[in-house]
Amino acid sequence: MELSDANLQTLTEYLKKTLDPDPAIRRPAEKFLESVEGSQNYPLLLLTLLEKSQENVIKVCASVTFKNYIKRNWRIVGIIVEDEPNKICESDRIAIKANIVPLMLSSPEQIQKQLSDAISIIGREDFPQKWPDLLTEMVNRFQSGDFHVINGVLRTAHSLFKRYRHEFKSNELWTEIKLVLDAFALPLTNLFKATIELCSTHANDASALKVLFSSLILIAKLFYSLNFQDLPEFFEDNMETWMTNFHSLLTLDNKLLQTDDEEEAGLLELLKSQICDNAALYAQKYDEEFQPYLPRFVTAIWNLLVTTGQEVKYDLLVSNAIQFLASVCERPHYKHLFEDQNTLTSICEKVIVPNMEFRAADEEAFEDNSEEYIRRDLEGSDIDTRRRAACDLVRGLCKFFEGPVTGIFSGYVNSMLQEYAKNPSVNWKHKDAAIYLVTSLASKAQTQKHGITQANELVNLTEFFVNHIQPDLKSATVNEFPVLKADGIKYIMIFRNQVPKEQLLMSIPLLINHLQAESIVVHTYAAHALERLFTMRGTNNTTLITAAEMAPFVEVLLTNLFKALTLPGSSENEYIMKAIMRSFSLLQESIIPYIPSVITQLTQKLLAVSKNPSKPHFNHYMFESICLSIRITCKANPEAVGSFEEALFLVFTEILQNDVQEFIPYVFQVMSLLLEMHKNEIPSSYMALFPHLLQPVLWERAGNIPPLVRLLQAYLERGASTIASAAADKIPGLLGVFQKLIASKANDHQGFYLLNSIIEHMPPESVDQYRKQIFILLFQRLQNSKTTKFIKSFLVFINLYCIRYGALALQEIFDSIQPKMFGMVLEKIIIPEIQKVSGQVEKKICAVGITKILTECPPMMDTEYTKLWIPLLQALIGLFELPEDDTIPDEEHFIDIEDTPGYQTAFSQLAFAGKKEHDPVGQMVNNPRIHLAQSLHKLSTACPGRVLSMLSTSLNAEALQYLQGYLQAASVSLL
Amino acid sequence: KHRQRMRKFKNKGKNAAALRMQRVEVSIELRKAKKDEQILKRRNISLHVKEESPSPGQDRSDEVIMSLEEIAKAVNGNNPKLQLLATRDARKLLCKQKDPPINQIIELGLIPRMVEFLSRAENVALQFEAAWALTNIASGTSEHTRAMVEGGAIPAFISLLSSPHMHISEQAVWALGNIAGDGPVYRDALINHDVIPSLLALVSPVTPVGFLRNITWTLSNLCRNKNPYPPLDAVQKILPVLVCLIQHEDKDITVDSCWAVSYLTDGSNDRIQLVVDTGILPRLVELMASAHLMVMTPALRAMGNVVTGTDQQTQAAIDAGVLDVLPRLLRHSKPTIQKEAAWTLSNIAAGPCGQLQQLITCGLLPPLVELLEKGDFKAQKEGVWVVANFTTGGTVDQVVELVRSGVLKPLLNLLSAKDSKTILIILDTLSNLFVAAEKLGETERLCLLVEELDGLEKIEELQNHENNMVYRAALNIIETYFSGEENSDLEPQTDQDGLYDFSVKKQDFNF
Repeated sequence: MELSDANLQTLTEYLKKTLDPDPAIRRPAEKFLESVEGSQNYPLLLLTLLEKSQENVIKVCASVTFKNYIKRNWRIVGIIVEDEPNKICESDRIAIKANIVPLMLSSPEQIQKQLSDAISIIGREDFPQKWPDLLTEMVNRFQSGDFHVINGVLRTAHSLFKRYRHEFKSNELWTEIKLVLDAFALPLTNLFKATIELCSTHANDASALKVLFSSLILIAKLFYSLNFQDLPEFFEDNMETWMTNFHSLLTLDNKLLQTDDEEEAGLLELLKSQICDNAALYAQKYDEEFQPYLPRFVTAIWNLLVTTGQEVKYDLLVSNAIQFLASVCERPHYKHLFEDQNTLTSICEKVIVPNMEFRAADEEAFEDNSEEYIRRDLEGSDIDTRRRAACDLVRGLCKFFEGPVTGIFSGYVNSMLQEYAKNPSVNWKHKDAAIYLVTSLASKAQTQKHGITQANELVNLTEFFVNHIQPDLKSATVNEFPVLKADGIKYIMIFRNQVPKEQLLMSIPLLINHLQAESIVVHTYAAHALERLFTMRGTNNTTLITAAEMAPFVEVLLTNLFKALTLPGSSENEYIMKAIMRSFSLLQESIIPYIPSVITQLTQKLLAVSKNPSKPHFNHYMFESICLSIRITCKANPEAVGSFEEALFLVFTEILQNDVQEFIPYVFQVMSLLLEMHKNEIPSSYMALFPHLLQPVLWERAGNIPPLVRLLQAYLERGASTIASAAADKIPGLLGVFQKLIASKANDHQGFYLLNSIIEHMPPESVDQYRKQIFILLFQRLQNSKTTKFIKSFLVFINLYCIRYGALALQEIFDSIQPKMFGMVLEKIIIPEIQKVSGQVEKKICAVGITKILTECPPMMDTEYTKLWIPLLQALIGLFELPEDDTIPDEEHFIDIEDTPGYQTAFSQLAFAGKKEHDPVGQMVNNPRIHLAQSLHKLSTACPGRVLSMLSTSLNAEALQYLQGYLQAASVSLL
Repeated sequence: KHRQRMRKFKNKGKNAAALRMQRVEVSIELRKAKKDEQILKRRNISLHVKEESPSPGQDRSDEVIMSLEEIAKAVNGNNPKLQLLATRDARKLLCKQKDPPINQIIELGLIPRMVEFLSRAENVALQFEAAWALTNIASGTSEHTRAMVEGGAIPAFISLLSSPHMHISEQAVWALGNIAGDGPVYRDALINHDVIPSLLALVSPVTPVGFLRNITWTLSNLCRNKNPYPPLDAVQKILPVLVCLIQHEDKDITVDSCWAVSYLTDGSNDRIQLVVDTGILPRLVELMASAHLMVMTPALRAMGNVVTGTDQQTQAAIDAGVLDVLPRLLRHSKPTIQKEAAWTLSNIAAGPCGQLQQLITCGLLPPLVELLEKGDFKAQKEGVWVVANFTTGGTVDQVVELVRSGVLKPLLNLLSAKDSKTILIILDTLSNLFVAAEKLGETERLCLLVEELDGLEKIEELQNHENNMVYRAALNIIETYFSGEENSDLEPQTDQDGLYDFSVKKQDFNF
């Protein structure tokens, strides 16, 4: 493309079209631009447009397009990926680098930002080696005196250097930093000084100050980046200049820079906040050099805190400032800065207490944005909040001054509680602060699972609980002072391990009562607190609170929990649903009388949320609760399974028909659980569903496979003969599923689960005609892509087959597929690989199967297979005695990666729909070693002398010794 | 070299490779040159030489009579008296505290002439003034030293070593020290001119202490610098004398011989072995415990270098008692000492578990925990390495002991350090701890402990870290050990486009 007016015109038109809302116009234009972006001069045309176009919208559009073009193409990946050639020719690259800085600096802000981004992308690749004059070009602009230009340079420098804050130390990185320091540090320092002077010259000019303060913020950020990796010699030598000025900026205030906005931080706040970060960086990393300056900063930051208001816009500054104090006060050599009683009192009074107050913004969140409030308050995503920072400062101070700090705060807590008592409806926030203060003072260590695990011994938690928490919760009006109610419930929750059990028991009805509170936070906390109390461990690994102790409250608990789900804003409240699940699990059979009502409500809820499932945790706990209802009820009364089916199948059918993807795996799990509850023949309702379960579309979804296989296994266990008689035409479809699964390296084990169930449960004659094909399929997989996982499953399967159909049948079917096949499988697969089989039951199946091959398969005794008899026995003894072989061939390490494209469709397994392990040889063989001895004994009786002579000539000595042990244990001998 | 060593006994993949840290992992420095290093070159501006050995006709004033031009004229002239006066004036100029005119004197071309004066055995005063002036020129920049060497100073000074006048041979020692201190090239040039035997010949029981100090300093410069290291045979010649000097009661002599040993050990294992073989290690341990920072610093440095060596060399250091003095050094008030001590310990912690056991027995864990809690950041960083190495090579029991000593709290606190590498190492260390906990069936307890100590929160926060490796390491720990209670996800599943009708064509099988 030439740099011609015609091309500029064309490009302008296409750029305009890319802004069109109509995709029919937009898409082709985007395609066109993409098709020409490999042409020479294309980027230069864009640069020309963004500079010279008559229309502002085209300028902006060209700058964005240019930035994206650079982002996609500047990096030359062709070195690594052959077919991704370098799209930007060398002359364009040179021209871009020569022009972009002045262009950026002379552009209006909107375009400047885009170009600045582009520069940093280019810089990331080319700077410093391939763009040596960038720095000088930038530094020269510092003298321009034009702060629009200077800020452009600073912004670009910031985006180039900020990576120094997180990259690892390396020769390459430090060479670059050194280069930058040599060229940049002095001019930056001069600029810093000059800017500060200009600030005082223009102290009365608001618009000038804004520009200058923007520069100062950027300069302070650059300082942070340049000083991050290590303390550079230059900055050590010029520490006086920087720190003195930083310090005075911290104490600076200018009415002109104050903003009216309550939320958004102003320039002054941003600058001071960055200075706090800079001071914290030096204090942490360069303590030795920074020590002389530190006390000054402590004082300044502390004064700053005392004089800063409660508005949200100061939050970042305040929490940064408090965190700075918190980190300093823990250091032994700065202890003296804090130890004076007056200092401590003043910090407590003026810094900590005010920042623990419940503010208007918190109140707003409590009422209107409860979910966010709960997340912050309960799950600890409060890292940047003032309260949290204040809390950290308390903990920091307690390291050296626990006694004095506790004493000072006790005074505050008392006076705040007195204030509250005088006039609760006006002063309730004082009590909130008091509770928060006690909490932060008392908690030394905390976990989600156990609440507070280590408490300040100077605080009497139980006393506070009895005197100040319980009375609030006992109040008849659950909707009064919701914040205090939430505080009280949270107190129980986090101090549950400190408060004595009898107090907890006394609190349970109170918590149950608060499930009715209108405030979302309050009833959510009540549910959560109950759930946490129910998971507490007592002695002997039982729950601390027993079902018996809960007996008086079962009805009201269940009623209130389900009622809470009907309160506005909580229809899909995961905390409540989790509490329901936990209550069921704790109460066990005492919930049975309420099951009819419970299951109706759960079913209705299920029906409602299945229209648009949006809360995965809520849904999960709901299905867990359904499973628990079924298990608990059917354990006492197996007949009840029918009523569950009645209640649930209608909704399940709807879910399946509407293909509610999130719920289908759950439905299959619940159905498996129900089906397994049946003791007799499979009900016809299930049989009607059977053909649908074989639909390919279901098996295309990864998340369905495990629960569907599980469900089909349940069908086979309960209804194999019904399938054989009433649905014989579906057997090929069933085997088709097996074939589908076996084809995948990721799912083949699921295919084997299914196949094992088929072999174990289906009447032999019903699968007779397919048996040979099954083996051919398996052999094909074995031949074409064998993996360790496949071999393990395969070995278990053929031995199960051998147990079910006999060793001779196994040999015959193998040899009917291909002559001498049986010997090949023995020699190449079974003998060398049997050691890899893992799992108790799996090993047992293999042991019994191989014993059968050794002792119940005549061709093993009198054909050429005889030579494999001893090696097979030896392998079997190895399976008994040697450690499992868990090596995996090198080339297999990558299989999982290649074969798992869909990570998102994980399968959510229900804990309470669990299935117990099934041992198909359980009754038949108890001890497989004894079984081997007995079988050998039987064989040797049938052909006396043969076994003994084979053993004595070729079995290795160690194996023979083991074998003799087995014979002895079985009290048999060989003839 | 350490990497190879680690691979031999710890087959733990990526961690092992990074275990032992050479002094220079990054050769670029952003910081100011260290103030506690030994001085490379020294100017002779003091008067003590004059006082000890007044040369005839010497005036004690610092007054310079001639201008530079006059000096040049006189030096190049033939009047020995004027030559002496001019050379003395030049020397006085070069002794000025501020801005000695080294450049001008070089530009005036005086060096070759002054070098020539060095051989005027008949005019001792002139010899001495020239030697002194040249010493101070050599103490300048590399440029200055080069001008002097190119003027032929090396052989001239070496022959002065055997001057019958002690103050002259002493000045020669000093000048040669400055030349050697310039770098490996001139150091080796001196060695090739056979400087060592003449130098060593000056060491005797009767050598005055002041002279001996100069000799020791010059010897240390002959041991100094890498790329390349000094030739092995030179080192072998110096070492026996060094072993004697390091026993000297004079502090300066001990200090400089310590520095020399620290240079000799800052290299490959065979060089370390030469030093270990001299049996000097117990003396180094003694000096590490010295009350003087200037003695302790090089002794600690030398010992730190020794334990970067093989297991046997490290064992020799342990046998010499290094573990007994380290606790005190780890608690030293000076950050650089803390740091070097922790660095030394980190390399011992990279050893086999027998050595780790000794580390435990000698009570190194409590000071380590203290250092991690409240040491200077540079030292804390090294401390983190100690823990990392320990958890990589330690037995499960040893790791349990480490956790019991309270290392977890400060370690987790350091997750908020402003240094990506440190954070990553801590995360790797945590993974090691979890592996150990799994073996003991104590995973859940460790999880709770980490959460209690506010570590979980910090690790969760690190999932937002800008550094990709840090972010992934944090994510990995969260996913492996801290994901939900009852939602256990099975592996992701996938399908291939199989046909659902059950049919198959037979093929021949051969496994």
